Amino acid sequence: MGWWFWPLCLFILTLAIGIIAPIAGVGGGVLFVPLTTAFFPFHVDFIRGAGLIMALTSALSSAPQFVKKGLANLKILAPVVVVSIITSILGAVIGLWITNAFPQGKYYIKITLGIVLFIVFIVMLTSKRVEFPEVKKIDGLSAKLNIQGAWYEPSLDKIVEYRTTNMPIALPAFAAVGFIAGMFGLGAGWANVPVLNLIMGAPIKVATSTSMLIITVNDAAAAWVYLANGAVLPIIVIPSVVGITIGARIGARLAVKARPRIVRYIVLGVMLLAAVLDIYKGLAGLGVVPKMF
Amino acid sequence: MVKDVKVDPMNTTFAKVMEVMTYLGLIMMIVPGTLYLITKNGLVSTKVAVKYWDKPAKVFWVTTKGIKIGGYSWFLSNLHYMDCLSVVGIVLLALAPLVAIIAAITKADSKYRILLAVLIVEFTIAIVRPLFMHVTGH
Repeated sequence: MGWWFWPLCLFILTLAIGIIAPIAGVGGGVLFVPLTTAFFPFHVDFIRGAGLIMALTSALSSAPQFVKKGLANLKILAPVVVVSIITSILGAVIGLWITNAFPQGKYYIKITLGIVLFIVFIVMLTSKRVEFPEVKKIDGLSAKLNIQGAWYEPSLDKIVEYRTTNMPIALPAFAAVGFIAGMFGLGAGWANVPVLNLIMGAPIKVATSTSMLIITVNDAAAAWVYLANGAVLPIIVIPSVVGITIGARIGARLAVKARPRIVRYIVLGVMLLAAVLDIYKGLAGLGVVPKMF
Repeated sequence: MVKDVKVDPMNTTFAKVMEVMTYLGLIMMIVPGTLYLITKNGLVSTKVAVKYWDKPAKVFWVTTKGIKIGGYSWFLSNLHYMDCLSVVGIVLLALAPLVAIIAAITKADSKYRILLAVLIVEFTIAIVRPLFMHVTGH
């Protein structure tokens, strides 16, 4: 088998993820990390490094446009990432420390990743989305920071103004999300969006766009940990980034015609399968269950 | 109906700078990265990388190049190799939010100026921390 075999498989996988993710309404990283961990020969250090760079690149490509339209807001980002930037670095440091300090560290990471995926699966299956949440009372911190914004909503043909609230409740949640993003190389939009939408009261479009902005900062900060530990290999990163970038452009066009509900259920099924495989491979590596493949 | 929303200068400056940095980073990452895969002019040859990519990052570098990684010199001192040059593109992408925040701070009001300054300090610590602390466990 030539050296190009696995990078080519990686390109095909990320191309497929790029096409499916926008239709299913999920981020690429949440599929990339568990699937490559389950089916590819790379060490989890390099998978998490590539996953982080992939999520960072995707978020950087779209976030500036959202900011210019008023959909993503630095006023929401700034207080949130002051906290999450620290936890995302901490997550990256601890993640790499586990695989290096313990001989069986990569199996612990696989099992934990599988458990996190189960949580993602449940969150995605059960969380509701509120298009225009009503913000009745604004907390003191949000009021002091004057967090507000506006964007033009074509479906209503009007400019929608919004404010957010519950910053003291949201901050610990973003701290936890930052930790998970750094540790596993995930984008973590699956967690950012419900916090922004359901807890802080940001309209769903603002929540999804600002989530992208949060990913740029959290993942960029954590990326330095992976760079400084040599866990970023271009032979893995380049096919992944090129694949997801091309795929996302195709996916964005197909999303208009596709039937999102069916695709979403398929993606959730794949995610569940990857979670089971990651936990099984972790347990098999530790010798808790017999190795079958 | 007026479709243009007035976005405050702090946000627009941030977006413009982030956009430029992203383009630069993507070009710097993908062009040398593709050349590395085609010409195989790399610090670690593709054949060797394939052989050891199932090892933890630390073991990978000790086995393939005999170096202990603990900072950025592994790619900064080997920029004549295409794979290392490609990592510079990743560095530009990882710097994009920081540079955008530095640009936005000039347009921010006093409250956000403080928050953005804290972010700049945190980001700077994230970048320089590996130079002082080696944290991979051994």
